[in-house]
Amino acid sequence: MILRAERVTLGYGRRPVVHEVTLDITEGGVGLIGESGSGKTTLARAFLGLLTPMSGNIWYGDQTLKKADLRKFRKDVQPVFQAEALDPRMRIGTSIAEALPRGSRPGAKQRVAELLEQVGLDPGLAARRPHQLSGGQRQRVVIARALAVDPRLLILDEPTSALDVTVQARILDLLASLDAERLLITHNLAVVERLCRTSHVLFAGRVVESGPTRDLLANPAHPYTRALRDAVPRLGGPPPEATGRAEAVPAGTGCPFRLRCPLAVPECERAPEPRDVESRQVACHRAEDVLAGASGGPVT
Amino acid sequence: MIEVRDLRVRYGGRLVADVPELDVGAGECVAIVGESGSGKSTTLLSLLGLTPDAEISGQVRVCGVEVLTASPRRLREIRGARVALVMQSPQAALSPATRLGVLMRRALKLHGVGNGSAKGSAEIMAEAVAAVMLDPEILTRYPHEVSGGQAQRFALALAIALGAEVILADEPTSALDVTVQAEVVGVLRRLRAERGLALLLVSHDLALVSTIADRVLVMKDGAVVESGPAARVLAEPRHPYTRELLEAVLSVPGASL
Repeated sequence: MILRAERVTLGYGRRPVVHEVTLDITEGGVGLIGESGSGKTTLARAFLGLLTPMSGNIWYGDQTLKKADLRKFRKDVQPVFQAEALDPRMRIGTSIAEALPRGSRPGAKQRVAELLEQVGLDPGLAARRPHQLSGGQRQRVVIARALAVDPRLLILDEPTSALDVTVQARILDLLASLDAERLLITHNLAVVERLCRTSHVLFAGRVVESGPTRDLLANPAHPYTRALRDAVPRLGGPPPEATGRAEAVPAGTGCPFRLRCPLAVPECERAPEPRDVESRQVACHRAEDVLAGASGGPVT
Repeated sequence: MIEVRDLRVRYGGRLVADVPELDVGAGECVAIVGESGSGKSTTLLSLLGLTPDAEISGQVRVCGVEVLTASPRRLREIRGARVALVMQSPQAALSPATRLGVLMRRALKLHGVGNGSAKGSAEIMAEAVAAVMLDPEILTRYPHEVSGGQAQRFALALAIALGAEVILADEPTSALDVTVQAEVVGVLRRLRAERGLALLLVSHDLALVSTIADRVLVMKDGAVVESGPAARVLAEPRHPYTRELLEAVLSVPGASL
């Protein structure tokens, strides 16, 4: 485990948008799943040390990020953003060489060529500028740049959402083949399924369900996880289902999902604590009913 | 409602869209599928004569109007009123300082719908908003006060209020969250079934298309490489590119049904 969030509350100004989240970045890839406004990108920023928690701690090994050696941290933990982050004026080779650790200037050219090859690009592309590359090639360059310091963990925020589907498939293959661990932030359940052994589902700044990705998607225990999964269109399948009102505002007190939840009961006005149910942790009073396939209406 | 024959669109001599045949009847949904640069959006825009710098040849008939030879006045009769264009992010097209209700009333007046009477327009607006399952309260809001899914449904309500018979939609849900996408798709399906709207959908999402379209055209580098009934094309693709697209669709375990 490289990083751990412990009861972390995050926000901008005084308004918290992520509430008391505890989670570990474990091996085999970790997915943070959520829709717009769920707090997933805010949490990723905290893991990158770009946002200080209002309360709680981010642990890096046995130290909190506040006290950690930031030079070592920046080498260990690297962000991979969308390809728009490349400097349009800079040649690809320069862009990657800039990210190399200090003192490695002498062999820089050779190292850049190696990195380009590692992400499946022709080393000859080093002389080009970003606009001369395709979207998929640019995304590979961004990954090569992150790999320049040989990091232990990559934090990827929607790394393929701007790409065509055939290009996306190849980038996912590349990411799956790398040695570095992954924290993947996305709204795309299929991408998480490919790259992450463990997943955490966020709703309104709270983790509502955590566990093995496969179990979460095959048999969700939280009604929101199930709503997300059932909204994904499938080839030749039925039209995607809109469960509840997708745009209802999160409830202020009690379970944040209750205003949208087809299974809500009066008990849901009391906020559910995360608890262990089968292979996962879930914050829902009716997790057992969800697992059993209950579709709506209160229990009698 | 839409009949296209031998449509060729060129920019500076380069062929960017070549569509031999494309028909959409009332109540039908046809989807054009392809990746960046395939010519799918160009094809859609050319149906309303919205590719002014292009050299176009062929035949395009939309709601009985020959688009490629029509006078600007004739084009204005179908644009917006009988044929609605729904883009990826409708919020960008809504005037930021105008309440949605005011915006809709102006559009009705501009197109002479509701006989210019306040009462007539109010009824039409209420009915249109209800058809897309929005709360009438939305009409008092400004564009920045609504979500992406609400803005997209408002764009559809506007089309209905103006009496649209055809909806041209370019990636109408790709900027939306999946649960919101499901709602917008639900509204589109209802409009087809209940009002017989013809729907031409441009999308890169084969899985989405498979759940809503009757027929599919697959485009690559400006050419239609395969077309036919959606069920056949997606189950038994004949062109290698269609197969490649299908293989790239990632599946999520645990089918909903």
